Amino acid sequence: MTGCRVGKDEGAVGSRLVTRRSLIRSGLAALAAAPWARPLAAATGPARNRGPNSGPAQEGEIVLGVSAAFSGPSRGLGTELYRGSMAWFHHVNDNGGVNGRRIVLRLTDDGYQPDPCVANTIQLMQDESVFLLFGYVGTPTVTRVLPLLKRFRERQVYLFFPFTGAEPQREPPYGEFAFNLRASYRQETAGLVDNFVRIGRRRVAVFYQNDAYGRSGWAGVREALAAHGETMAGEATYMRGTQFDASMRAQVEILQAQSPDAVICIGAYQACAAFARDAADLGLHVPVANVSFVGSENLLALMREGRADPESHTRFLVNSQVVPSYEDTSLAAVREYHELMERYDPLPPENVERITRGEVYERFPQSFVSLEGFLNAKLITEILARMGDEPDRSRLEEAVFAVRDYDLGVGERVSFGPDRRQGLDQVYYTVPEGDRFVPLDDWESRFAMS
Amino acid sequence: MRVHKLFRRLRFGVFALFALVVLSIFLLSIRTVSSELETEYVSNSANIARNIADASVDILLNRNLATLQSLIDQFVEIESIRYIYIVSDTGEFLAHTFVPGIPEEILASDPSLTDPVERSLPGLGEFVEVGSPILSGVAGTVHVGMDTEALALKIQRAVGQQIYLLCIILVVGVLALIWIVKATAKPLEELLTYVVELARNGGEVSDDGVLARKDEIGDMARLMRHAAGQGSPPAQWRARVKRPR
Repeated sequence: MTGCRVGKDEGAVGSRLVTRRSLIRSGLAALAAAPWARPLAAATGPARNRGPNSGPAQEGEIVLGVSAAFSGPSRGLGTELYRGSMAWFHHVNDNGGVNGRRIVLRLTDDGYQPDPCVANTIQLMQDESVFLLFGYVGTPTVTRVLPLLKRFRERQVYLFFPFTGAEPQREPPYGEFAFNLRASYRQETAGLVDNFVRIGRRRVAVFYQNDAYGRSGWAGVREALAAHGETMAGEATYMRGTQFDASMRAQVEILQAQSPDAVICIGAYQACAAFARDAADLGLHVPVANVSFVGSENLLALMREGRADPESHTRFLVNSQVVPSYEDTSLAAVREYHELMERYDPLPPENVERITRGEVYERFPQSFVSLEGFLNAKLITEILARMGDEPDRSRLEEAVFAVRDYDLGVGERVSFGPDRRQGLDQVYYTVPEGDRFVPLDDWESRFAMS
Repeated sequence: MRVHKLFRRLRFGVFALFALVVLSIFLLSIRTVSSELETEYVSNSANIARNIADASVDILLNRNLATLQSLIDQFVEIESIRYIYIVSDTGEFLAHTFVPGIPEEILASDPSLTDPVERSLPGLGEFVEVGSPILSGVAGTVHVGMDTEALALKIQRAVGQQIYLLCIILVVGVLALIWIVKATAKPLEELLTYVVELARNGGEVSDDGVLARKDEIGDMARLMRHAAGQGSPPAQWRARVKRPR
């Protein structure tokens, strides 16, 4: 699409631009050929790699480029987000698509690692048939991709609804290249801190993944505590990619020495589950909060696995969420989600089993992550539908800004605008009950200081 | 009596000389390589710290700590850089790469110092740390820690390669020396055998092959035979040798 537009609009200078672009393209191709770039077959059917001047509109498809964690310790996040999106996209495609065009995902796996994500994104941006980038997973990955979007801004490739609440894609200098649906980590951590302080738990410590994601949450906690005149009681870190079987004794002991009233974890489910397990085992009996990125169901499944009395380890957990509870069927979107997840029960992306050496992924019937993926898909479909019969990247931003007070079916209405690039602001709090997270109504009775 | 005895001292001398050369080069290499690498290390660390400091200004002013962390995470992937931390002008740690936490020694240090310092962090190792101020220090300071164990390993590797080469030269040299000594001793042994037999048998020698030699050994044999009253002296010595009257 962009290739056509440049040729037509810029006339005489077009050839010079094409030459320069072809050089850039060659460089990009070399980078994209890196061994870590692992394309996965799209579950909605393969989309052909078309020539540089063709566009999705000519092929009856709208291709969304995805780079997410489909392997590694965080693969549950990428997989569930994808499954939620696919439940909606299957529904849309089965009903004639968007203005007659099928929505197709072009999937690549980055394993939640920045370098592969950059290589995948270059590959996707190089592919002219990819209309927009969608459903990325993680802060360390997304923060590394944002400069690419700025570098190739003339291509007008936008990133939609990444599964991260970090600030870089919400603020200058990169905020203009991304659109977010979910609330930010700043809002999540502020909510957690406010509630802890309200019930008298003022000494809040942080356990975080030592990268951009962890730092984003750390900064949110620090800011929220400062608003209450407090400073962080302590902090401990872990390396990205840490598995559940790793010991978190050192981290627990560092925090325990500061006698915190609560710990906020900014991490992925494997490491956070390991921390919560070791905290309970070592006698750090204070509320352990996680933000939405953790993947609540994956975390809970790990903590309950093989335990006769799982509640002894999970009773201190409290997780913030950026979507309502999937148990709340009073909401129209949640009812739709239940119905479509049940009808389609989307499989993990093809080839994932091969990448993960045959390890079978246990799908969750419902989860907060897949609900988020579902809502992301529902909103992007609405935006694409508003672009009419000839979707064009140059009108994409305009179509997003046209979304005003849109009822997504979650109670909170969605609006976008030049000064508002995040659709939802609501944060929800949940605690484990059996094998599920349910809404937390009363912080006082559950977590009040004894 | 074996002629080899004559060469024992020579062999020992040559061997000792080789060893001295190797040792001298070894010591000189360690000194030169370690000094050069250390200087390069500190210089690289200072450059990296300066680069991070320059790149951090806007990020810090925008309070974008996630991007700041992402920036230092990329630098810490460089070989031998083990940690990076950024401290605000008030001494608050804004971003760092420590796991599971910031070491006590670092927490207790003066974060505004930028001169190279050597640090020993329990459980982590030995480091050379350099700092660089951000906006002349009013926005904070970047600190970069380089692993001195990695540096020592590099020095060992560089010096080890030189010593390895020298040792090969030493062994080849000694083997060559032994061969040369053997080659030189063999005709001397023939001469000695001839002279002993000449003296023992009063001029009757069963094997006089040594007399056929065209070199100094042959000359010596002919001279000995002449001294024993038989034959003429070698031609080139004839003028200097007077037959006893």
